[in-house]
Amino acid sequence: MTPEALEALLHGSFAGIGAMVAVTLGILLLLLAEILPGAAKLKPVLFVATLVVAFLGELQLLGEPAGPVLGGSYIANQAAAAWGLVFLSATAVAWVFGRGYYTLEKPFQGEHDVLMLSSLLGMMLMSGAGDLITFFIGLELLSVPLYALCGFRRARNDSVEAGLKYFLLGAFGSALFLYGAALVYAGAGSVSLTTLSQVGASDSLSLIGLALIASALLFKAGVFPFHFWIPDVYQGAPTPVTTFMATGTKAAAFAFLLNMAFLLPPAAASSLAWIALLTIAIGNLGALVSRDLKRMLALSGVAHAGILLLAVVSYLKSGDVELAEESAIYYMAAYVFSAGGAFGLLALLESKGDEATTLDSIKGLGSRRPGIAAAMTVFMLSLGGIPATGGFLGKYFVFSSLVVKADMVGVALIAILLSVIALGYYLRVIIAMWMEAETEDAAQLSEPKRLGGAAAAVCVAMVLWLGVLPDFFLGLMR
Amino acid sequence: MLLDLLIFLPLVGALAVGFTPRGAVSLQRGIALLTTLVVAVLSLVVWGSHDLASLAVDKAWFTLPGSQIDVGYRLGVDGISLLMVVLTGVLMPIVILSTFGHITERVKEFMIWVLVMQMGMMGVFLATDLVLFYFFWEIGLVPLYFMVGIWGGKRRLYATLKFFLYTFAGSVVMLIAAIALVYKAQSTDIAAITDSMAALGVSDTIWLFAAFTLAFAIKVPVLPFHTWLPDAHTEAPTSGSVILAGVLLKMGTYGFLRFSIAMFPAAAVAASPYMMALGAIGIVYGAFLAMAQTDIKRLVACSSVSHLGYVVLGLFALTRVGLAGSLIQMVNHGLSTGLLFLLVGMIYERRHTRQLDQYGGIASVMPIYAIFWTIAVLSSVGLPGLNGFVGEYLILLGAFEAIPFWAVVSVTGVIFGAIYLLMATRKLLYGPVVHEANRKLTDLNLREIGLMVPVVVLIVWIGVKPSYFLDRTEASVATIVERLDQARDGMQTAQLPAVKGGESR
Repeated sequence: MTPEALEALLHGSFAGIGAMVAVTLGILLLLLAEILPGAAKLKPVLFVATLVVAFLGELQLLGEPAGPVLGGSYIANQAAAAWGLVFLSATAVAWVFGRGYYTLEKPFQGEHDVLMLSSLLGMMLMSGAGDLITFFIGLELLSVPLYALCGFRRARNDSVEAGLKYFLLGAFGSALFLYGAALVYAGAGSVSLTTLSQVGASDSLSLIGLALIASALLFKAGVFPFHFWIPDVYQGAPTPVTTFMATGTKAAAFAFLLNMAFLLPPAAASSLAWIALLTIAIGNLGALVSRDLKRMLALSGVAHAGILLLAVVSYLKSGDVELAEESAIYYMAAYVFSAGGAFGLLALLESKGDEATTLDSIKGLGSRRPGIAAAMTVFMLSLGGIPATGGFLGKYFVFSSLVVKADMVGVALIAILLSVIALGYYLRVIIAMWMEAETEDAAQLSEPKRLGGAAAAVCVAMVLWLGVLPDFFLGLMR
Repeated sequence: MLLDLLIFLPLVGALAVGFTPRGAVSLQRGIALLTTLVVAVLSLVVWGSHDLASLAVDKAWFTLPGSQIDVGYRLGVDGISLLMVVLTGVLMPIVILSTFGHITERVKEFMIWVLVMQMGMMGVFLATDLVLFYFFWEIGLVPLYFMVGIWGGKRRLYATLKFFLYTFAGSVVMLIAAIALVYKAQSTDIAAITDSMAALGVSDTIWLFAAFTLAFAIKVPVLPFHTWLPDAHTEAPTSGSVILAGVLLKMGTYGFLRFSIAMFPAAAVAASPYMMALGAIGIVYGAFLAMAQTDIKRLVACSSVSHLGYVVLGLFALTRVGLAGSLIQMVNHGLSTGLLFLLVGMIYERRHTRQLDQYGGIASVMPIYAIFWTIAVLSSVGLPGLNGFVGEYLILLGAFEAIPFWAVVSVTGVIFGAIYLLMATRKLLYGPVVHEANRKLTDLNLREIGLMVPVVVLIVWIGVKPSYFLDRTEASVATIVERLDQARDGMQTAQLPAVKGGESR
């Protein structure tokens, strides 16, 4: 490549990838601080600064989308920027709640943070990927650090097991994707989304390839029938990592699924709708019977993935990408703060990260720690979709795209009735905290630190803001 | 501004209570009482205002994604909601006063929830925007869930979960219908939706009607969906029961009128015989249920099912008299059943049992109590001169106009109602004092008398001069009746294909 060609390629690209450049620089600086003596104090500052700069970059991009950059391999449009904000929020939530979580692994916090940022970079790359290869790089950049993060507490069996399990299945998912991409290339002759949108990908080879790609994405999102790894991995992984995975990874998978959904044949809508309904049912029923809170939230996350899939379904049926994207992003933003906050509170409560938080151990939390219990209550109500929380409006938007644009009233009705089951277990958490007397298990809980309390307060504020004054957020996306 | 205050003053009060230290019980009670008193006065100011339309609020809230539809922060009062707003306003200070006797633990949380509850109820009655209405509709579920779950009786967890899931299931079905409705009418303004729906026929609106009606039927509750109510009532603390019977259930009947009937007149006309049947059966069935109860609170709860049957019957008779009767009966039921629950609570606080056979001869020990109880019962059974008579009479009249058969069935309910309530009164108040524990009971104190006096005044006032209350509702009822008539005409022309080119409605 001649210098001129390189310059042409990079020209005007920086605005589009500014946020990603910032994260990359952050990673490098953090690694540098790792080896410089006396720079340890700087590390949290560096981490926060990286997120802030990247956040500003995405906001800038949201205002003035740059379009396709780097020869079309990255599409820096508004949706990518909005998803970027969601990923950054997810990272911030997971990281803040994770401060003070690790004890034995405390010396390695720096590596933990670098891995987290790398994974974030992967998500950002995925959400705006303009071709299948860029996406694959993003996918691997997301996954490989997460394999390590899942097994981060190497002294514990379940953590190592989670890491290994996620790695084995994740490798399988990546292979599915690659094979699918190869088939699409063989069938349609291109891996670029722009080209594919012009030539179409409706030959049988490409269709098989697309099915494989979709499967890989659904695997990452934890949608039925690829959800089996979710409970074990989420439960075994360190809780801050679970927070990060539950919110960030899911968002990234759906971001690209929406980007590439135009390739799928419209007939896929009805089968995807069935998959979504089954996912919601299985996630909710699984969560209903688990007494371990982390597992319960993990399975409830499966159900939420099902609802997000309904946004994709409505897009396939109606072709209205903006509505589907807006509602999915809104839903996911609310989910980041409510599920992120809920997982985060669990991280705070786990005593030295040794004992599981069960329904029994949080009994009577309302009288001992009313603030923490109140925050958890808000998160549960938001996950359940009660108004005045972001969860309600997210659900409202997804279902309205389904009912109005896609004309799938029956699917919407079944899905929303299934979500009544979900309220059954969210309410049980509230019952335990406020309406039942404390048990001996409560002694296992640790005293949350001040930073964690502040983070919970911010999450609550965001959930309520998203739930009461949506115009600000909707305005950002328009 | 006035209407904003009605909704958000309680929220401010709740926040204020939230910032008090945990032990400062009197302060928390004081704040709650003061807030609800101010709201009560404001609701009376609304009642006194002659130009209700000028109170309306309409501000931009947000735009629905993928459309140009602006969801508004829209509030307003009309003849239908006016009575409900005043009822909510006036009842809440009474509820707060009544808690002084039985809520002694976790007072702070309780006051917060009562005030949030008031915000939700006011919001439901004042919202003139569909999305805003749904917002408050579901927010109203949460406080009662906590009130029953924390301060309730032995089976409170079961009762509260059942209550919540039952009503929530109804609500989400309504949500789907609301979503579809908003896009069909391209507006979220309830008045605009009503206008655009009024001309549509049965086949276009029947499933929307069904979805809304299901949600409200669960809330009221109408017969096959009533099972959550006795549980919730029995386990709830007295104040929770009063709110539930006094206002919360009215959200369902209010919804029937505002949405099911006013918005989908054609479908309402088509469904009228079935809904009237459910109402009439509910009256009789509820009465039989009540007759079989030995727990006095459960008895009142079952009588509540029966009395709400009248409201449903009157509403779906779809006549001017029936609608007016139902509107006044909503208030009546709130007052008399509310009073009964207060009285049950007061004696429970003294004796700690609700079994009827543990009482007897209370009239000689607690004469003032006996007077209030008798007034409440007579109001409930519909003694002429008290409020219950006015409502039941108008409803039966309206029902007779529509379908005489169901009116006749319902009249038997009046008789059964008198039987079980008077039987309960006999067991409770009269006869010799059998149980030693009953001899030492103290009569009502000043606070208890004071909080019940306004209710009794209203009971008599409505009974003697119902026109003072009915007049305010007349214009709104007339509009709905007009819509219903148009819908009936439209259905008749549709049935006569020979008459073509007639009026398009």
